[in-house]
Amino acid sequence: MNNSIDIEKTKNFLFELLEQQSETKSIEWLLQQKDKIEKEGSYLKFYMAFGQASRFFKKTLLKISENQKEFAYTLKEGFSPQTWDQLQTARSYLLLHFEEKEASSWVNALNKLFETADMHEQQSLYAALPIMPYQLEMKERAIEGLRTNISSVFDAVALNNPYPAEYFDERAWNQMVLKAIFMQRPLYQIQNADERANPTLAKILVDFAHERWAAGRTVMPELWRFVGPFINEENISDIEKVLQTGDPIQQKAALLACSSSDFAPAKKLIDQNPEMGNAVLNEEITWELIGEEFQYGK
Amino acid sequence: MEMFIDPHIHVVSRTTDDYEAMRKAGIVAIIEPAFWLGQPRTEVGSFKDYFSTLVGWERFRAKQFGIVHYCTMGLNSKEANNIPLAEEVMELLPLYVGKEGVVAIGEIGYDDQTEAEDRFYRLQLELAKEVNLPVLIHTPHRDKKKGTTRSMDVSEEHGVDPGMVIVDHNNEETVKEVLDRGYWAAFTIYPHTKMGSERMVEIVKQYGPERIIVDSAADWGISDPLAVPKTAALMRKMGIPEEHIRMTCYQNALTAYSQSGQMDELDWLRPEPIDQRQRQFGNSVLRGGQEPKVEGSDFVEN
Repeated sequence: MNNSIDIEKTKNFLFELLEQQSETKSIEWLLQQKDKIEKEGSYLKFYMAFGQASRFFKKTLLKISENQKEFAYTLKEGFSPQTWDQLQTARSYLLLHFEEKEASSWVNALNKLFETADMHEQQSLYAALPIMPYQLEMKERAIEGLRTNISSVFDAVALNNPYPAEYFDERAWNQMVLKAIFMQRPLYQIQNADERANPTLAKILVDFAHERWAAGRTVMPELWRFVGPFINEENISDIEKVLQTGDPIQQKAALLACSSSDFAPAKKLIDQNPEMGNAVLNEEITWELIGEEFQYGK
Repeated sequence: MEMFIDPHIHVVSRTTDDYEAMRKAGIVAIIEPAFWLGQPRTEVGSFKDYFSTLVGWERFRAKQFGIVHYCTMGLNSKEANNIPLAEEVMELLPLYVGKEGVVAIGEIGYDDQTEAEDRFYRLQLELAKEVNLPVLIHTPHRDKKKGTTRSMDVSEEHGVDPGMVIVDHNNEETVKEVLDRGYWAAFTIYPHTKMGSERMVEIVKQYGPERIIVDSAADWGISDPLAVPKTAALMRKMGIPEEHIRMTCYQNALTAYSQSGQMDELDWLRPEPIDQRQRQFGNSVLRGGQEPKVEGSDFVEN
């Protein structure tokens, strides 16, 4: 077992969350199933309990206090159960009680569960990656999760999840961001997005924007976040083009991208648009705000 | 708007045009029974992926058109005749019967009424009892009357309550016994081989709406995913009372299958706009941010 997470503490934390907000009979059922999984160690018992949890827990978002959010971060940097529902929390709790002596047999059992999982079960499994006992071993599975066209499952891997930034190589990371853009997902919910920005991704995204423009389509404004640090002679004209669109949300995104660039002509663009430029420099415009406005309107 | 349930349709074989038309015609919920695919399967993995599709991709696809998708799980009678494969499928089934939105074991029963079919039918009746799910019986195309009677006899032999069993693909010859014995009697409006809408109207006139269910069983054959709303329209035209139309084209299916605890009217009555594409369900059937088509147009949209 690698030491990236304290399984016992995590189990207790998930239980505490559920106990606060679920019905007594559901909690009783959960404890019974947990005992069975621990004692019998049979993967079939675990699969069945994992599935049947939907009969006892709701898909209502967890209510989480600020303290609990902070505590979640001490268990695992980036772990964000405030984006989880009660059912997936119960499923994750059961998952942490399923143990195997060898990492390989644990991974095999999990893979079988992934292959037979329904939509919500898949969501639960992918979102639980950062608290799993064997994380590195699940990398290929996590990448497989990006190939889905079911957006809620894709989101479980890509959004509000520290796993991709920690484990994906550049190729998989870039594939994830590009697909998130293609599916118009809220990019600001991708964790550690700026740390993993890279010139290859910037180039792919600029090409993508060209392709969309050639077809008479627009691109989502958050795309420029990943281009910003790599603005250069070649692509500065694209940023200028976005500034000329006349669409404020696109313009804000272009200037915010410029603010993360060291390239002098990009800095100059900020100066040339003082009103929006100042709002960028004063951090009144952020990627979160742009993303939220784009997804949900003002 | 008038609401319909099509409690038997194989939407994996249907196009998005069908989904649009179904929603427009008022279909709010559908049940997709696990069945055969036309081409016989030769590997258990094909069953696994099919079952996963029923609780995964197809459910997602339906949702994008504002239709709630449920399914039934089972080994169909035709493929029960490949015994080694059938045995493997039986080991797989327990993984799927407890999943969300699985509202029955089915469609099971007889095709050629062989010994193997009988064996796997009985095993699945036992499975249904164990997990407390209703049963959907597929009655055979050939030697139908005897096959229907036998299906019910065997079900009773295993102690399954007729109120938990939906007997499908009935006709004028089978309906009386099925109703008299306390079962739900489903009718498949499927051109040429099963029922037509006009005959269906006559049956509702004669037997009333009690425990009668109308479905399309639309699949990869020549069939009609709008069979339920079309039959309802004909019933109205022929003077069948509104309440009887509602019972046979909506309520009875809901009552029968909600015995699973997995189907609830709130699933579609809860106001959740279809067109949430940018929020919860990005586009994937609707690829790359394309706008969902609301009305038909005479050009292909960009």
